[in-house]
Amino acid sequence: MIETFNDLMLGFSVAFQPQILMYAFGGCVIGTLVGMMPGLGPLAGISLLLPATFGLNPIVAIVLLAGVYYGAMYGGSTTSILMRIPGEAASVMTCVDGYEMTKNGRAGPALAIAAIGSFFAGTVGVIGLMLLAPTLASFALRFGPPEYTALLLMGLFVLAYMSGGSMLKTLAMAVFGLLLGMIGIDIMSGYTRFSFGIVELGDGVGIVSVAVGLFGISEILLTAGNQDTPKVQKPTLRELIPSKEEFRLSAGPIMRGSLLGFMIGIIPGSAHIISSFVSYGIERRMSSHPERFGHGAIEGVAGPESANNAAATGAFVPMLALGIPTSPVTAVMIAAIMIHGISPGPMLIQEQPELFWGFVASMYVGNLVLLILNLPMVGLFVNLLRIPYAYMYPCILAFCILGVYSVSNSMIDVWIMLVMGGVGYVLRKFNYDLAPVALGLVLGPMLELSLRQSLALSGGEYGIFLERPIALTMFGLGGLLLLLALKPLIFKSKDWRSKVGLEDVAD
Amino acid sequence: MTMPAEQQPSPAASTGIKSDIVSGLVLVAVAGYILWLNRKFPVGTLADPGPGYVPMLLAICLGVIGLLVAIMGGRSARLAEIRWPEAVRAVIILAACTVAGLALEYIGYRLTIFAFLVFFIGPIERKGPVPVVLVSGGFSLVSYYIIGDLLSVPLPVGPWGF
Repeated sequence: MIETFNDLMLGFSVAFQPQILMYAFGGCVIGTLVGMMPGLGPLAGISLLLPATFGLNPIVAIVLLAGVYYGAMYGGSTTSILMRIPGEAASVMTCVDGYEMTKNGRAGPALAIAAIGSFFAGTVGVIGLMLLAPTLASFALRFGPPEYTALLLMGLFVLAYMSGGSMLKTLAMAVFGLLLGMIGIDIMSGYTRFSFGIVELGDGVGIVSVAVGLFGISEILLTAGNQDTPKVQKPTLRELIPSKEEFRLSAGPIMRGSLLGFMIGIIPGSAHIISSFVSYGIERRMSSHPERFGHGAIEGVAGPESANNAAATGAFVPMLALGIPTSPVTAVMIAAIMIHGISPGPMLIQEQPELFWGFVASMYVGNLVLLILNLPMVGLFVNLLRIPYAYMYPCILAFCILGVYSVSNSMIDVWIMLVMGGVGYVLRKFNYDLAPVALGLVLGPMLELSLRQSLALSGGEYGIFLERPIALTMFGLGGLLLLLALKPLIFKSKDWRSKVGLEDVAD
Repeated sequence: MTMPAEQQPSPAASTGIKSDIVSGLVLVAVAGYILWLNRKFPVGTLADPGPGYVPMLLAICLGVIGLLVAIMGGRSARLAEIRWPEAVRAVIILAACTVAGLALEYIGYRLTIFAFLVFFIGPIERKGPVPVVLVSGGFSLVSYYIIGDLLSVPLPVGPWGF
């Protein structure tokens, strides 16, 4: 414990450097603005800012991008509450009761509870990250290629089981992503696969161009032509203060949402989206007046907002401890760290303590910055929403082209982004979840390499996966989840999605 | 009395083709195409997989899942129920982005983005000339200054040094 405290002090000595503070602050502001803009969620925001971090040192880069991430999670709630427009998917549930509160003249308390819940959940998440990541990383030092193969396969099964939409469609998208990851030079044999003679594809398909295409461009293709400039309420500072009763009602949902969100955040998939739906379902079930939900219940804002913020932090645990992304956002952040020659994984905490603990400490600071900054300045931020979409979307498109091109000064990346934008647009029309594509793209080469390394180690014996207890346990868990996922298909029973009202989240 | 074209039942609607059946079969076709492309790479053996082994396994998985999506897609929405009201604009956007992409390395970032924004805000969104010039010019110059000059990200410059 004392060691953790000393490490945290090291982190604060890094995080309180003026340059780091400035970038954490800047990341939070940019993230809040990005989260408020439809078409620019946290993923697109981080991807577009990625080239700007190339010239920064790795600690500053990751602090800036993390600030954008949790800033965007907060910004999404503002538009949900004030305009019933979720700036990003995790804020969909906040729309339901948040906007009803706005219609009832209680927009201020809804915003304040969302901010307080986000702050509390963010802090719980960082404490969890601080305690869990080093332990998990020490444990992962025992991992060899068979364990990584088992872990990655288990992750894919968890992704399918926990996905918001159809399990089969999620699996199809994960496999599609894994296939995209096969493009480029095969490290073990030197063959260049599926490159169509394009030299640039030898290095594989970049996560940034795929992510911006799938999530940014496809969103614009779906929403362009929307002429409405919505009316926005601007609550004053005095109007933000919740009543005692609202505080009392929100306390439980904030605490439950924080714990639940952090645990779900560690799991692969669209955790921040799922956590908000699950939290809403739990709060409605636990309430003595469930009929209030959907008509402006503050618990319906407090729970989901806390859950999605805690999940955002939880996603950093496997990223930093194992080097495995569990969401498209963490996949892009891994790319950001690797550009600086640092490999995330079990050795990261030992080899780069300043980076890990500086990052953890900067998240404490960032959460505080968001709370202090966003409530008094909410009136200023909502002015952004008054910009007509006719001006906004061409500028977002220009940013997408600029951001993707800048990653490696390659037009191929721009073409990939446009193709992925078109593909994403069609897939969304057919209710396919796109997050597994981005995850599969990153996990594909890791999975193939670890599988072939395992077989090289064992002389071609598949028994190696059964001889190693950790790998066997993971395969067992993955198989169990697969059976659980198949149960509703075979017995026509309800699965967990129907129980929390998640059937349509992929839409 | 005739119905507007968009309200008339399409052949797909009358025959009730389901969206998941179509999307599942497309996945099967994609899987088949990948298997065909993969024929060039040695698959190796189960014990010693070659570069074509994992792509082959994945393509088979995609085909099987696509088939399952199609088989279980009987209850999905009909293909004709999927509306595409923004499709024309989506095609225009993709085409304009393609042209901008082609122009970027020839005429430079600032001119390309200026022309790109003029096209969208002017002819497409029908805004007046003053906002068109102000937004397009302002965005291209300010974004170049922030990204290119302040953040030192190298951006393409045209033959006129602009």
